[in-house]
Amino acid sequence: MDPETQRIFEVVKANVVKVLTGLDPALVTIERSLTELGANSVDRVEVVMYSAEDLGLDVPRAELHGARNLADLVAVLRRHAGA
Amino acid sequence: MRVGIEAINFYGGATVLDIRSLFEARQLDLRRFDNLMLQRKSVALPCEDPVTFAVNAARPLVEALTPAERARIELVVCGSESGIDFGKSLSTYVHHYLGLGRTCRLFEVKQACYGGTAALQTAVGFIASQASPGAKALVIGTDIGRATIRGSYVEPSQGAGAVAMLVGQDPAVLELDFGANGYHGYEVMDTCRPAADVETGDSDLSLIAYLDCLEHSFAEYARRVEGADFVDTFDYLAFHTPFPGMVKGAHRMLLRKLKGASPAVAEADFNRRVAPSLRYCQEVGNIYSATVYLALCGLLDGADLSVPRRIGLFSYGSGCCGEFFSGVAGPEARARLGALRKAEHLAQRIPLTLPQYEQLIDAGLEWVFGIQDKEVDLTPYRDLYDRALAGRGLLVLRRIRGYHREYDWS
Repeated sequence: MDPETQRIFEVVKANVVKVLTGLDPALVTIERSLTELGANSVDRVEVVMYSAEDLGLDVPRAELHGARNLADLVAVLRRHAGA
Repeated sequence: MRVGIEAINFYGGATVLDIRSLFEARQLDLRRFDNLMLQRKSVALPCEDPVTFAVNAARPLVEALTPAERARIELVVCGSESGIDFGKSLSTYVHHYLGLGRTCRLFEVKQACYGGTAALQTAVGFIASQASPGAKALVIGTDIGRATIRGSYVEPSQGAGAVAMLVGQDPAVLELDFGANGYHGYEVMDTCRPAADVETGDSDLSLIAYLDCLEHSFAEYARRVEGADFVDTFDYLAFHTPFPGMVKGAHRMLLRKLKGASPAVAEADFNRRVAPSLRYCQEVGNIYSATVYLALCGLLDGADLSVPRRIGLFSYGSGCCGEFFSGVAGPEARARLGALRKAEHLAQRIPLTLPQYEQLIDAGLEWVFGIQDKEVDLTPYRDLYDRALAGRGLLVLRRIRGYHREYDWS
């Protein structure tokens, strides 16, 4: 993982752990999907929105729809970060 | 001039299904059961349709009027996404079975779960225009879930019900803040009913669109209403409730966005201002066009109305259109609502076993859109009919003859 992807993934991971209270952070790897980690639909949207906010990105919500795992999500955020 | 809701009532069906038992029978993930925050849902019998639900919700309101007042109902508008004819509106049947006068506009509106609000705002505009001073309008949201995909995660929330509201210049139940409306609409393909017996879509995309509309509708409301604050302006909130867990998530997100609220602060605020609106929604399920008004009924019956309270309402319909608006309810509302005993009516519903529920779905599938001639055959569910509807004086469908629906009182 290159440094920029790693940076964005760490932001996403922090929000996954924040939203899914009690989840072991070691389980949050980039290949996993939020659903596998136990996130419901509201949790998934929250992780996406909070991550975009923390990164200072204004990403249209509909564009974040369709990310099937954390790698997809990180890729969308990275594209908006212009990196 | 004052304008708003003079009286409100809902009809939540005659039979009911326990949601946990549905999850177990369908082998759905029970973790998602907790997220739904839904206990039971109303189920329609095949002899019930959007017309019977609408009439059964509205009849107590109409019967409480004097003949002179009844004659002033000059608009009957139904909001529904469960239509039974492309041309002839539900309102024509509803108007007939309620015995209303003929100086009356009759039509139906559709915009998914926003339909009830589209109907209400149309009525409010008519009353406020003073084109016919002293007139009243009857607004009804009426819908039945189409449970064609058994075992989906949408099935547990698909309910059946109707909410009727009398709109006029004596708004004892909820005086609307006229002009305090923030709305937001655009095209998105989230959920839809593309064929008469199909209800489908993408629930994640729908959640995203709901949140988008909530945020932008409230922002527009705040732009129009000087000093409006999401926390300080509203004593209570009632949102469109596809399932209560979604409202909880939406409230938490908006509060975080507007106020930077922590999850604990959001939880406390939710319990204080939003939870009272969920009491009937948790018992009936999603009733689409009427859901936000079912939430309002729960709030009006459960909230402390000893002094006037400002209520913020958020309506959302897939496709999509959202609106944030508000009104004031006080001690007068409590007095008007008391006689309807809605909680008691819900407690009278007959609980269904899973096999009975399956049987009702199968029997309902025979009543596809566009039937020309068909008699209602009560035989497969005679016992349920006898226990749930017989002798209660509720409207039921008897037959369709030459496409014309014929109803009778049970």
